Amino acid sequence: MAIVPSMYLQILFDLDNLLADMEEPGYKKIGFKIEDEATMTIIKARTDLLQKIPKELVSNYELLKKRYRRAIAPVENGFCFGCFQELPTELSTKSKEVIYCPNCGRILYWRKK
Amino acid sequence: MNLQINSTKNEDIITDLVYQIKKGSDAELIIHTLLKREELGSTGIGKGIAIPHCRSLAVDKLEIAVGRTTKPVNYNAIDKKPVTLFFLIIAPPQDPGNQYLITLGKIVQIAKELTKKSNLDELKTADEFIALINIIEKDLAKRK
Repeated sequence: MAIVPSMYLQILFDLDNLLADMEEPGYKKIGFKIEDEATMTIIKARTDLLQKIPKELVSNYELLKKRYRRAIAPVENGFCFGCFQELPTELSTKSKEVIYCPNCGRILYWRKK
Repeated sequence: MNLQINSTKNEDIITDLVYQIKKGSDAELIIHTLLKREELGSTGIGKGIAIPHCRSLAVDKLEIAVGRTTKPVNYNAIDKKPVTLFFLIIAPPQDPGNQYLITLGKIVQIAKELTKKSNLDELKTADEFIALINIIEKDLAKRK
């Protein structure tokens, strides 16, 4: 798989959601088998991934994760799906920079159409 | 729904299932997360059924894909038996009401009922398959 830099953050976010779901009582109740050793492998993969993302971005991501549980919010119809506030129209979906919600501070993610 | 998956490699089967929902880099992101999920422990729940699942930024609503392989595959299932039937579930990260876990639980329940049906391999079309799932769903609802 060819990974572009912006994709690392998305992979990190999906991995974090994966690890968080494993801890959910509702998930455990369903009864899928989870191997403890494998969990450590995923945590290691996460640590390796962090090395590929700029330090400042990692630091912001971790702070947002601590505050909101999910650091990235998708944008739906011009709204941040983290705080449900309408976003200013000048926020560009084409920008290569990471864009934060001006209201809640979450990292914004525009899905491909 | 693809009831004629010819792949025998687990990664190819997951790719086939994901391509029913997404293509391109979105699909790659989902496949990557699903394979990581499988590393944590197989989602093969036994009796020939597996339920690969994850949350992903790449989807904006809960998505389900169904696939059946033409040959049984080794999926490291909980009962160590080969798998032929796959239910793929992908949920968005933001998920009001936690529909993901509710749906996952429901699919596991339906899948377990499906294993009791002897005519499973005889189902040829998506419509036949959906009709059977509808019957199971109604039966389960009656039992509540």
